[in-house]
Amino acid sequence: MTSLQSTLGDEPGIADELAANQREISIAEFFEKNKHMLGFDSGARGLVTAVKEAVDNALDATEEAGILPDIYVEIKEVGDYYRLVVEDNGPGITKEQIPKVFGKLLYGSRFHAREQSRGQQGIGISAAVLYSQLTSGKPAKITSRTQSSDEAQYFELIIDTDTNEPEISREETTSWDRPHGTRIELEMEANMRARGQLRDYIKHTAVVNPHARIELHEPSDSFKAERATDQLPAETEEIRPHPHGVELGTVIKMLGSTDSHSLSGFLQEEFTRVGKKTAGKVLDNFRDRYFGREMAWEPTAEDEIADAVSEATTNKAAEAIEAFASGIAEGVAARDHLAHHELEAIVAEIADGIAAEHGTFGETARQKAVEAGWSAIIESREGECYRLVDAATSTRKDEATIEALSQRIAAKFDDGRHRLTRSDLEEYVARAADMTQERDDVAVGETARENIVAEFWSAMKTVPDDVPLAREVASDRNAARDLVAAMRETDIIAPPTDCLAPITDELVEAGLKKEFDAEFYAAATRDAEVHGGDPFIVEAGIAYGGEIPAEGSIDVMRFANRVPLVYQRGACATTDVVKRIGWRNYGLDQPGDSGLPNGPAVVMVHVASTNVPFTSESKDAIANVPAIEDEIELAIREAARELKSYLSKQRSIAKRRKKQDVLATILPEMAEKVAEVTGRESPNIDAALARIMNNVQVSRVTENGSVKLLVENHSNTAEDLDVTDIVSTEPSDLSAGTVIEMDGEWFVKWSPTISAGETASLEYSVDGEATFDLDVSGVETAKLTVEQ
Amino acid sequence: MSTDTPHDAREQLIELAAEFYDQFAEGDIPEMTLPTRTKSNIEYDESSQVWVYGDRTSTRSANSVRGARKLLKAIYTIDFLADQLGEDRSSTLRELYYLSESWDNEEAQFSDQDESNQLIEDLEIVSSVTREDFHMRPEESGATLMGPLELREQTRRGERVIHCQEDVGEGGYQIPNNPDTIDFLDHDAEFVLCVETGGMRDRLVENGFDEAYNVIVVHLKGQPARATRRITKRLHDELDLPVTVFTDGDPWSYRIYGSVAYGSIKSAHLSEYLATPQAEFIGIQPTDIVEYDLPTDPLSDSDINALENELEDPRFQTDYWEEQIELQLEIGKKAEQQALASRGLDFVTDTYLPERLGEMGVL
Repeated sequence: MTSLQSTLGDEPGIADELAANQREISIAEFFEKNKHMLGFDSGARGLVTAVKEAVDNALDATEEAGILPDIYVEIKEVGDYYRLVVEDNGPGITKEQIPKVFGKLLYGSRFHAREQSRGQQGIGISAAVLYSQLTSGKPAKITSRTQSSDEAQYFELIIDTDTNEPEISREETTSWDRPHGTRIELEMEANMRARGQLRDYIKHTAVVNPHARIELHEPSDSFKAERATDQLPAETEEIRPHPHGVELGTVIKMLGSTDSHSLSGFLQEEFTRVGKKTAGKVLDNFRDRYFGREMAWEPTAEDEIADAVSEATTNKAAEAIEAFASGIAEGVAARDHLAHHELEAIVAEIADGIAAEHGTFGETARQKAVEAGWSAIIESREGECYRLVDAATSTRKDEATIEALSQRIAAKFDDGRHRLTRSDLEEYVARAADMTQERDDVAVGETARENIVAEFWSAMKTVPDDVPLAREVASDRNAARDLVAAMRETDIIAPPTDCLAPITDELVEAGLKKEFDAEFYAAATRDAEVHGGDPFIVEAGIAYGGEIPAEGSIDVMRFANRVPLVYQRGACATTDVVKRIGWRNYGLDQPGDSGLPNGPAVVMVHVASTNVPFTSESKDAIANVPAIEDEIELAIREAARELKSYLSKQRSIAKRRKKQDVLATILPEMAEKVAEVTGRESPNIDAALARIMNNVQVSRVTENGSVKLLVENHSNTAEDLDVTDIVSTEPSDLSAGTVIEMDGEWFVKWSPTISAGETASLEYSVDGEATFDLDVSGVETAKLTVEQ
Repeated sequence: MSTDTPHDAREQLIELAAEFYDQFAEGDIPEMTLPTRTKSNIEYDESSQVWVYGDRTSTRSANSVRGARKLLKAIYTIDFLADQLGEDRSSTLRELYYLSESWDNEEAQFSDQDESNQLIEDLEIVSSVTREDFHMRPEESGATLMGPLELREQTRRGERVIHCQEDVGEGGYQIPNNPDTIDFLDHDAEFVLCVETGGMRDRLVENGFDEAYNVIVVHLKGQPARATRRITKRLHDELDLPVTVFTDGDPWSYRIYGSVAYGSIKSAHLSEYLATPQAEFIGIQPTDIVEYDLPTDPLSDSDINALENELEDPRFQTDYWEEQIELQLEIGKKAEQQALASRGLDFVTDTYLPERLGEMGVL
């Protein structure tokens, strides 16, 4: 080290030399070198990304203005380049804004807003402009006409990559046949190799935007998605952050800039879903962390307290001391458990109460009384500790161990007001446990320690101390940290969802129906959840069967804020979740029990959020955020459950049909043989057959200790059944019916009424292996099929 | 339960087919109701002192594919049996299984022999005709007996009068598949001794035990065939002879005793016809293992399991068996009959059996 430094010291010019080469890099310049991060890594891809950015902008603009989108996309070969034109009927952009919107990276209105929108960072369209100027050298041509103006504005511009500022080469007023809207024309080096993705993008966009009319003209084909509904997506509201999702740095920043004086005001003003009550709860949790809690002990006998207080009180008249001491002792005795601050409150109350009659008890007298009273109260703390340790530990711990442990913990509470934070408490317990382990040679495991800490912590009381002011917390990192932790641990209702516009399960289903000719559709929209202060909603849909190809794995369509994600399927949280779901459960084939299932199905997942976490700026894949993954999983499972019940119904119908086929061959043969043996004419079996075909079927599904009895009524009339299942072990969690035990067997009795064509089920659980004996009555035996 | 002639058995079967016919004709779905054949559905019949099926029944109905297949097989089997009885021929259970392969209807063919065996048992129950009267016999050759007994057997080649000591070789008299074709003519026997293993049976014969004590030695050959149990019952009922059972000292052998004395679960419908409730167990008892200090093997897990099951088996719920089984579980040992040879080849005939039979009051 030393030698190197001396060498450096010999060349005094090097740092200056290096410094001369160091300069600020403009954002535009950075992205010029990192095109792939924005999805412009190849000509094929670049074209799709440019279309995507322009269409997303168009949809956002029209919806914000409450206009039904009418979008026109045209791709043409022009010499060595492709020319992309995207037109919308949006509100238009003002003359001043046009160069900034298209000619400046990271310029946008939505980055700071907590509201669901397609674009967010204000990178997309300007990146397309940048890509076009880099590959073709041609400027972007923008026409825009605002709703009120007669004329349209026309610009030709490029981005100055050194300064990230627009460089306008032409600016003029022009006429345009659209009454309002925006048109962008870009020329770029590209190819149509990603035609599939382009079509997919437009098609999928149409699925999730049934209110939009989108037209695509490309060199070899045209595609038009007509408007399916006139209903615009619900307007979204901007919201304040939710307390569960903000990070420490953000909170400190917010504390620094808030107008609120108190913490309670800060919480109520700056966050969503925080009222006075919730703020109070948050602050109590904050107090527990910031100040710690005070241990509450069971008070000693009333007269002992009175004696202790009167002994400590001097220089007062005897009856004054008597009134003071007995008042305090009474107040103390009225409580089961008492913390130091509560004793202080009692002393103050009594002192104030008797002041008129007996004269003032000053600060010193009060303090002495508290001290004396407290010393008397904590006398009995060993017993309390024993009770708490005993309640927290398993019954296997012997009395001596509990005794030793509780005595050691009690010893930790010596002088003072017994106020400690949870980590102080953990320390107390850990030291006591270590000591017990060492001295008495008995193990006190992690779980036992945690349980003891929890038991004590819940016996301790939150202190009434005043919390610091907002600006004080802003400058105290530890206090801010405690506040964030307190916000996280407080139960707070989910953020309002009016900042989000989910497609809704009906429209997801409708969108799937529009695009896929399947035999079954299901969709689910979850309730809003929070991640990082941003609410999000996950929706899932499944289309199954019909024209969907049965070979190979299923298709997963991914959407974020109504934008189809077409690239980087493998990197997306959505795909990961689909892969780890056990699809066999839901009736789809899944080789190896993980990975994409096989079969004629399409799964779509839509994540709507005020801030969708993407893996990269190109917004191709949703990042693996556990909270979002969980919701994706739940949404898919919800839709998949419908698929499962559909498929199992299909299977049961197929089974029934097969059964009818088999019976329709067996029974005549049987009748034939019976006639042969008895030497009579063949009997007429039509009536018997008819009965079999209209039957009531009772079947059993047993899976990992859960038993399901299904009664399917295939007849044309309602049926009243008495179902008795004789089980060898005790059943629990009955969904219906009653259980009676007789001689070590349990009789589960259930009497459902099932209308024609309906199915009813009874579910219960059994522990381990069990045998069953099912008996069904109430239905003619001929009409009844019981599968044991 | 027994029928007198092949003709009656045939009538019963056709009656059964006619029931199916009538069910069809009335628009009902054909069905057959049978007692549930499980341990939980056998109960002690006070009057006959044997274990019979309880009230729980299960129904084979043609309204499920399985049930319809079963009934189709049943009617094909009925057809076959009726023909067989009509021609006064017989066949084995295994032959029936293979024979089904020749039936024109594949649905009616048996998938394994258990299925055909069980169907025959079902037909026995619903028609109240025994398998023997269907002229169905098991594969294995019958067991043997040896002792001072003269009988007349109705064979296919005419009547034969046989003395089961004088007219037979060392192997003894071969019990026919249907012992009801036998008439007992005369005997000098004092009691019947059923022996589980061939080795022990040969030892008793070699030592002249049957002659010395006037015993009819019946060889059980493991789990006794129906014919063996039937003849044992007849020896008891008709000749008024006490019946004793001599087996190994392990749970499986207690079941052998159980099926002689109380009837088996599978054929509880025939208990009255096959079981000899008065049969007494000689040993090897767990107490013998202790008293005679016999060479032993440790109980395996399945042995222990079987013993525990026996404790719950209604047939073994007597003070005697509870005491013996609990003792065995406690010592954790089992012993074979041949273990007695550790005291010399004659120990069993000179000491053990006389002592045990004396205790039991048979001698």
